[in-house]
Amino acid sequence: MEHIPFSVGNEGRQVFWNTEHFELWLFLFTFVALGIFAYGIYRRWQMWAAMGKPEIRWDDTKERLKLLWRDGFLQVKTFKDPYPGIMHGLIFFGFVVLIFGAAFDATEFHITEPFGVAFLRGWFYLIFSFTMDLFGLAVLIGVLMALHRRYISRPDRLSYRGESDSTADDAIALLLLLGIIVTGFVIESLRIHVTRPSWEVWSFAGYALSKAFAGVPAETAKAMHAWTWWIHTFIVLGFIAYIPYSRLLHMITVPANHFMQNRKPVGTIEPIRDFENAESFGVGQLEEFTWKQIFDADACTKCGRCQDGCPAYLTGKPLSPKKLTQDLKTYWLEKAPAAVMAKKLADEPARWPYLGKKWPILNTVDFILDFLLAKTKGVPAGAPAEKALVGEAIELHELWACTNCMYCMENCSASIEHVPKIIAMRQYKVLTEADFAPELQLTYRNMENNSNPWGVGSHLRGDWAKDLGIKTLAEDPNVEYLFYVGCSGSFDDRGKKVSVAFAKILKEAGVSFGILGAEESCCGDSAMRGGNEYLYQTLAQANIEVMNGYGVKKIITTCPHGYNALKKDYPHFGGNYEVYHHTEILADLIAKGRIKLKKSMEGVFTYHDSCFLGRYNNIYTQPRTVLGAVPGMKLVEMERNLAKSFCCGAGGARMWMEEEGQRINNTRAAQAIEVKADVIAVGCPFCLTMMSDGIKDNKKDEEMKSLDIAEIVWKSMDLEEEPEPVDVCAAPAE
Amino acid sequence: MNIVACVKQVPDTEAQIKVKPDGSGIDEGGIKWVMNPYDEFGVEEALKMKEKFGGDVTIVCLGPARAMETIRTALAMGADKGIHINDPALENADAYTTASALAAAIKGVPYDVILCGQRAIDDDSGQVGSVLAELLGIPQVTVVTKVDVDGQKVKVVRPIEGAQLVIESSLPAVVTVTKGLNEPRYASLPGIMKAKKKPVDVKDAAALGISADAKAKVGKFIPPPARPPGKIICADDTPEGKAAEVAKLLREEAKVI
Repeated sequence: MEHIPFSVGNEGRQVFWNTEHFELWLFLFTFVALGIFAYGIYRRWQMWAAMGKPEIRWDDTKERLKLLWRDGFLQVKTFKDPYPGIMHGLIFFGFVVLIFGAAFDATEFHITEPFGVAFLRGWFYLIFSFTMDLFGLAVLIGVLMALHRRYISRPDRLSYRGESDSTADDAIALLLLLGIIVTGFVIESLRIHVTRPSWEVWSFAGYALSKAFAGVPAETAKAMHAWTWWIHTFIVLGFIAYIPYSRLLHMITVPANHFMQNRKPVGTIEPIRDFENAESFGVGQLEEFTWKQIFDADACTKCGRCQDGCPAYLTGKPLSPKKLTQDLKTYWLEKAPAAVMAKKLADEPARWPYLGKKWPILNTVDFILDFLLAKTKGVPAGAPAEKALVGEAIELHELWACTNCMYCMENCSASIEHVPKIIAMRQYKVLTEADFAPELQLTYRNMENNSNPWGVGSHLRGDWAKDLGIKTLAEDPNVEYLFYVGCSGSFDDRGKKVSVAFAKILKEAGVSFGILGAEESCCGDSAMRGGNEYLYQTLAQANIEVMNGYGVKKIITTCPHGYNALKKDYPHFGGNYEVYHHTEILADLIAKGRIKLKKSMEGVFTYHDSCFLGRYNNIYTQPRTVLGAVPGMKLVEMERNLAKSFCCGAGGARMWMEEEGQRINNTRAAQAIEVKADVIAVGCPFCLTMMSDGIKDNKKDEEMKSLDIAEIVWKSMDLEEEPEPVDVCAAPAE
Repeated sequence: MNIVACVKQVPDTEAQIKVKPDGSGIDEGGIKWVMNPYDEFGVEEALKMKEKFGGDVTIVCLGPARAMETIRTALAMGADKGIHINDPALENADAYTTASALAAAIKGVPYDVILCGQRAIDDDSGQVGSVLAELLGIPQVTVVTKVDVDGQKVKVVRPIEGAQLVIESSLPAVVTVTKGLNEPRYASLPGIMKAKKKPVDVKDAAALGISADAKAKVGKFIPPPARPPGKIICADDTPEGKAAEVAKLLREEAKVI
């Protein structure tokens, strides 16, 4: 084989080789394509700006730019899912490099070369050629992976209940990408075939492909080259022009959405401040969302990551976060043109960026296009949609199926916020219309009258602690921690056992704590997430008044719902506390050696992540650390765990509602059965109930059980004889 | 069509009832007061009639100052106005005095139907609706689970043991209602806010021109004896054996069969 030196110094290529005469035409067409692109963005911008309440999502720009870098450029959220992450990464980073390459070419050709400086020469050119081919191939592989995924392997997430949601737009976008890369390589290989410089072996892909043209006469090859060059050019320009009118717009909306992503604690809901004078609460009409909430819908690429772990969707409920977002988008697209028109007419004087009357030519173009498009669509431009948002565009069954588990938001690669929209629409149904499930009405009445969802007499709240010698803050306010017990821990028989176990551990460890007893109120989480913000605030204020009255500073909860509400939502109303979940306290007590776990626990344990602990509050390690400290513990993970954990089905007020069809808790319990667990360890009373019921419904209650981590720890501390089961029919002892 | 709904404020069904040491009444400390659940069915039915036929729904309530909350609750559900009979002299009113106060208040408003709960869950007397009808000199249909108003007549369903009576009455009439009639609505938030501004007339015995003297007086309140512990049937392990034992105990010890 002929020896090829790495670089002799004169390697390079002529830009516009064989297409020297096309340069002017290229500029002309590029100008047209960019014009179509810019006009599309301008029209879309009008639509984004036309509807919704104001919301500022560009404060603290520096931090937001970091988020843009992390999620927009480094694609951290996209890579969380391997196949689609790599697929998208190959296309994205491939194009980033190719665009930089094209920019190098253009810089040399138009800027430096006229001054006699050609930098794409020699070894730099060789590396450049190699890199461009490499990343071109990367895009090709990425596009082929995407085509395979969308049209051959077809995972469920690209559909809604098996009904594919692929449209012509998806195919066009992928074929344009494929066309750009294939024609690009063909052009390169034809050029190499004709010019045959030995160094082009560095353009390894084009070089290899050029062998395919062996024997083609130079003149034929040149003609083919020129034709392919034009095809390539038109696909590229077509691609650019197509962006604002297609799913490709996500190249703009998704990074924008990453930049504008929520920076408040996960799951915080902006409180309603004016109950007295408002006529309507929550969101009953599209324009009652903020513009950002509407923009979210436009950023959705229907990738289906949200749907993949949605407990409602996976158990056959009508809800899919993807469908919800897409339905909102469709609804917005129906309503936006009329809103744009109304805004144009109202904006006097017109101001940027609505352009309005300052731009008569642009407005005339808008008008003519609207007129022409209206003919093709059969809908007069500006005709408002007749459908109602809540109940029609979004069905009530969808709205109420959500468990607020946060899977969708945690896993969305476009930073879309589904849950606050659902809560806002629930608020409309509950507060404005008072039209919602009767069983939830009963729950709310119980919370109103007795400050707990079961409606047990509120005077019984502290009774679980009667025989334990625990003081209330009324008896002794000088304690380090308030143990906020919550409703389950106070009224539910199963929950009370957890309270007792945890209180005994605290006493044993010598932790200074007290409870509120009958002065405690429901935390209100179920009311808030079920749309009853008014009831929630009443309950929160009652708690805050009592807690602030005692000067409470540190709080421990055994319920993640109370934990989340007290920690993140009570500060809105002047309740500022250091809040700990009991698994955090237990981990700390074990680490400091203040409690000793002695008794070995037999059997296989699996830990079920509570949504309000994990995804809401990032507490994944502490419960596992505590379990890891239990002697003899064999801990196995279920397939869906940590940030991808599967909800028990009780969040978002679902605990109190009837469930249709396949039950979420049974599905989760079955996942624990799959890993042959003997015990499902939990850190949440809702999960505890749901898992216990799920075990029963799976007919495994003989061999399996569900325990709270506090119960496991207390057993392992081995300080108390386990009471023998009482034989009620045994002869009375003498 | 104008409808009157009578309501009473009672302790929540889950409230802890403690008799005062001197037996003069119950200790009201810590009690959550609510609308008598049977009266809630009446209010709901009144609102349904209003939705169907139009007209006004007036809430009439006898009780101390705190009873205003219950009137506001009914107004939040959608009633139009209220009459609050508040007089310390009426604190120990019996069923007759209560009915005469309600009758005097109702005489001042136009009505076609008067709805009452079949009884209040606190004193369980179940007489007010009937006495009210007598005092007003109009027909009464009591303890009903279905109400159909048709112009000049009302047709109701009253369940009796093993059957149900369908009764028709001319209007105006008093209808006392029970569970099963409807599901009382949850008040909307705009409803709650608007209720604060709806008119409520407060009247005392003098304004109504009635005597506050009760015909029946409560001598003393005595708490019920503590419930004895339950009994677990162990004698025989078979369901048949246990059933026989239960029957025996019900006959011999409890003397109920």
